[in-house]
Parts: sequence; structure tokens; C-alpha cells
Amino acid sequence: MSETRGPSTPSMTRWRRIYYLIPVVALVIPYFANEYLLWVVNAILVYTLVTVGFNLIIGNLGQLAFANTAFFGIGSYTTAILMVYFGVPYVLAIVASAVVGGIAGFLASVAALRGIRLYYLAIITLAFGELMRWVYLHGDKVTDGSDGLLLPKASFFWIPLDSEAPKFYVFLLLTVLVVKATSNLMRSKIGRAIVAIRDNESSTASLGIHTARYIVLAFVWSGAVVGIAGAMFAVLTERVLPESFGLTEVIIHFGMVLVGGTGSIVGSVLGAIALTALPEYFRQFPGMDELFFGIVIVLVLLFLPKGLVSLLHRISPVFQERYYRD
Amino acid sequence: MEPLLELQGVSVNFAGLQALADVTFNAHAGEVRAVIGPNGAGKTTLFNAVSGYVPTVAGTIHFKGTPIQGLAPHEISVKGVRRTFQNGGLFMELTVLENILAGLHVNIDSSFLGIVLGLGEAREAEREGIARAYRLLDLMDLGAIADQPVKDLSGGQQRMVEIVRTLATDPPLLLLDEPVVGLSPPMRDRMMEIIRRLAGEEGIGIMLIEHVIDLVMSGSDVIVVLSSGEVIAEGTPDEIRQNREVLEAYLGHA
Repeated sequence: MSETRGPSTPSMTRWRRIYYLIPVVALVIPYFANEYLLWVVNAILVYTLVTVGFNLIIGNLGQLAFANTAFFGIGSYTTAILMVYFGVPYVLAIVASAVVGGIAGFLASVAALRGIRLYYLAIITLAFGELMRWVYLHGDKVTDGSDGLLLPKASFFWIPLDSEAPKFYVFLLLTVLVVKATSNLMRSKIGRAIVAIRDNESSTASLGIHTARYIVLAFVWSGAVVGIAGAMFAVLTERVLPESFGLTEVIIHFGMVLVGGTGSIVGSVLGAIALTALPEYFRQFPGMDELFFGIVIVLVLLFLPKGLVSLLHRISPVFQERYYRD
Repeated sequence: MEPLLELQGVSVNFAGLQALADVTFNAHAGEVRAVIGPNGAGKTTLFNAVSGYVPTVAGTIHFKGTPIQGLAPHEISVKGVRRTFQNGGLFMELTVLENILAGLHVNIDSSFLGIVLGLGEAREAEREGIARAYRLLDLMDLGAIADQPVKDLSGGQQRMVEIVRTLATDPPLLLLDEPVVGLSPPMRDRMMEIIRRLAGEEGIGIMLIEHVIDLVMSGSDVIVVLSSGEVIAEGTPDEIRQNREVLEAYLGHA
């Protein structure tokens, strides 16, 4: 009886499986896309994880923590350093980037746990990102400073990642696994506790929920997801540079979260697609490209304040996600 | 009968100001105990002290014989003391069902790994939680609004949902901070009826803060009167009605 009611009725859940078709259909992309287009698609996969991780903190936990670029850079440099100096296989470097990114997430959560919130948390986490950039620049004995660290050719198990197509398949696999795991997490009692903290932290504790534990968990998971994105980014660009992780990058990440839709995983994917593909498209208008990019962000936020994902919900309530309202 | 909650000399200070002074009383299972007093008397501070939201500077608080003072709010909640909030503690962006599920959090038995990997046991635990949440909502005739966001509900419905949420884990003791404020008179009576039933039939110990003196007199078994952080009287409604000190300090006529 009760199973036929609610947001998780079998028919609705079945319809949402339509999302599983997306990566399956995507498998054919390398058969018609050229190297450049495939590079853009690979960048979209990287930024999908960047945005999914960031949105968890901004949208779900509701904290203005901007350490995302730090997690991204830390993930990239972890993979680069392990591969360059220690000849670590790429698979293990990805795992290490997730772990180190998670540790960075833990460090960022300490600020939030100490009661630093809102603008104070924003500025302290931005400073963390800038501090890391200083470390990449001045730790030049290891990082090669502003020249950047050049990666050796990577292979994923036995697959050499020497062109965009094999990178695409590996990135697609990683993205699907991480997005699915994050989605499982957010649709569970853990995800519920995280949005409960966003809505009313003190009453969340009155329900027996250890709020500090879930704040830490959200930051660690976010750091690990973005750390993996960093590991992908290192192999995508083949050279890890400090300037890839500056303040402009923070704005782009934040733009992806807002344009896609805060607190929504599908929104994160849409935001990453839109704000990765559009700047590439606008490159044909040199001098005007950044202007167009800015106009698009402003227009979306003016007319779709809940992000691109709210368009999807207008088509059908089937696409309505748990813990996301528009 | 052993008391459910024992307060012994409990004091709370805010920046040198004494908010609670030497508060001592026992609360029992199956009893509706009203806490009354003028604004600033320390009623909500008393609830905050019992539920771990403000630290005590002196005294002991025992729940079912074990000390709970100094524990964090979530620890006290897990022990079985659940509360509502004066300004409403619901998650406004979430639906009624999701609010109840959050209330059931500690009863949903799934592991982190099971959740991340989407294992059957984790999904089964979530399904059981949903079924249990619907049973609770149906009990209070709230099943029909299960999928509505809480922010779209009336004040009365919100109060009701918050009480159902505290009840989700079958707690032995409920602290209700102004459960009927802002409700229409018929809704108020209905709420008091439910509160009486929870104490009478389920044997839950209930402490509530209330300003409407008629409701307190007709609906509670015991009344504790606070004034300037001190207990100035404790007794049945009849005893309180005849207490001179209370009449002067609180009811304003001698």
C-alpha cells in the first residue's frame, strides 16, 4: 500500500533509469567526433565531477566553502607528482588523488566545524585555494613552478592514454562510477542528514543526528570527488600548471553549480556541459568570448534561478529528484 | 515509581546573568507536566539545558537514572529525550515524509559502504523507514500530505508534523516548546487531546511550555512555575490555582 505512494513510487523510479542510457549512448561519441571535439567532451567529464563535488557543499550542505579549486589542484598535483617522480601507475595515482583530496576536504571542514560560517568561511576557503597556488608556484623544486609539471604518457591498466578516445572511455567510466556513488549517498539517510543540516542545523541534532560527523563526511566526499577530477584533468592537459587553479577557476566552478542548479546532481552535469562547451564555442569570436560567456550566466540566472535542471522538471515530474525542489 | 527525569540544583548562566537557579524537580512517565512563567523566566532555557543545547554550571540532570548533563544534543536525543522548537524545527525545504524520515535517522540501519555501493540491505533499510514513516503519518491522518513540502503547510499541520517527527523513535520523554501557539482554538483543543493521549495511552512523559492558562489548567497533571530562573511553585492545577505567590508573580492578581 504505502509503496505505491511518494516520490519513490516504482513507476517514477523506473522512468528515472532513463539516465543510465546517457553514458551508454555516449559510448559512440569517439566514432564521429574529431580529436578537438573529443577533448571538449573529456573536459566536460572532468568538470562534471568538479561540479558534483562542489555542489554537494554549496547546494546540499549549504555552506559557502570555496576550497573546491584547492581540491582540484591538489588532486592534479598528487597524480602528477606520483607519476613523474615515482612512476606510479595512473590507476593508483587516481586513488591517491581521491585520498589526498579527501584529506584536504577534511581540513576545510575543520573551519566549518569551528563555527566559521557564511562570508568568513567563504574568505577562509578562498585563502586556502590561493595558499595552495602559492605552494605550487614556490615549491618549484617539485612542481617546476610556473612552467608546470609535464606528465609522462599514462596508461590505465593496459590501455595507453595516448589520444583522446581512450581517455574518453576511462574518464566516462570514472565519471559514471563516482556520480552513481554520490547519487546513492545523496538519496540515502546520509544525504537527508546533509540537507537537514542546511535547513536547520540545531534541530537536526535534536533528531539524534551527529551533525559534525555529516559536515565532515560531506567535505571529505566532496574533496575526494574533486580530487579524482584533478587526476583526470592532469592526464587531459598533460601539464599541470599553477594558473589552472586560480580565482577565475573558482568563479567558473561556482557558475557551473548555479547555472546547473544547486543541490542537484543532474543540474551539476548540465552546468558542467553548458559552461565547458559554451566558452569553446565562443572562441570563434575572439575578444568577445568572455563577454558572451558572462551574458549567458546572467541570463540563465535571471530567467532560470533554479538552474537548467528546473527546465527538465517542467517537462515531467519524473525528473524530480529527492531533496531538490524548484 | 522511579522518575523519568530528575533535575537536582540545575543552574545556567548567560554572561554572568543567572538564567536558571537551582532548579530541582522530577518528571514521570505518563505525566503531562506544564512549565509556565512570565517571559524571560527561563522556560526555554530549562528545555535547552535538559536537551543539551546550553551548558549547565551546576547541578545534575538524570534521565532514567543516568546522568545526561554535559552530553551533546544528539546524544541526549538518542537516549530518548526528544524535543520541538518554539520557532519550529522542521526542515522547510523537505517534504513531510522526508522530515519524518530524518526523525527516523537513527533507526534506519544501513552502513556507509552499503549506501555508496547501493547494496540491497541499504535499500531495504530505507524502504522499511519509508513504510514506518507512512504508518506514523497515517496514525495522525497526515498520510495525504506526505509529499508536500513543509513550507506549503498551515501552521497547525506544521506543529503536528513536528510532533510526529519527535515521536518517530518512540522516545520515553518529549519536551514540547509551545506546541499550540498560533493555532486556532479547535486545533488547540485537538492538539492538547493528542498530547493527553500520548501520555495516557502510550505512557510517554511530556513536558510542555504553554502560555494559555486555561489549557494548562485543564490539560496538565503537574505544573511547574518558573520566575526569574527559579521554581517558585510545583503542584497540581488546583494547588497552583490557590498558590498566593504564583498569583502575585505570574497571574498578576492577588
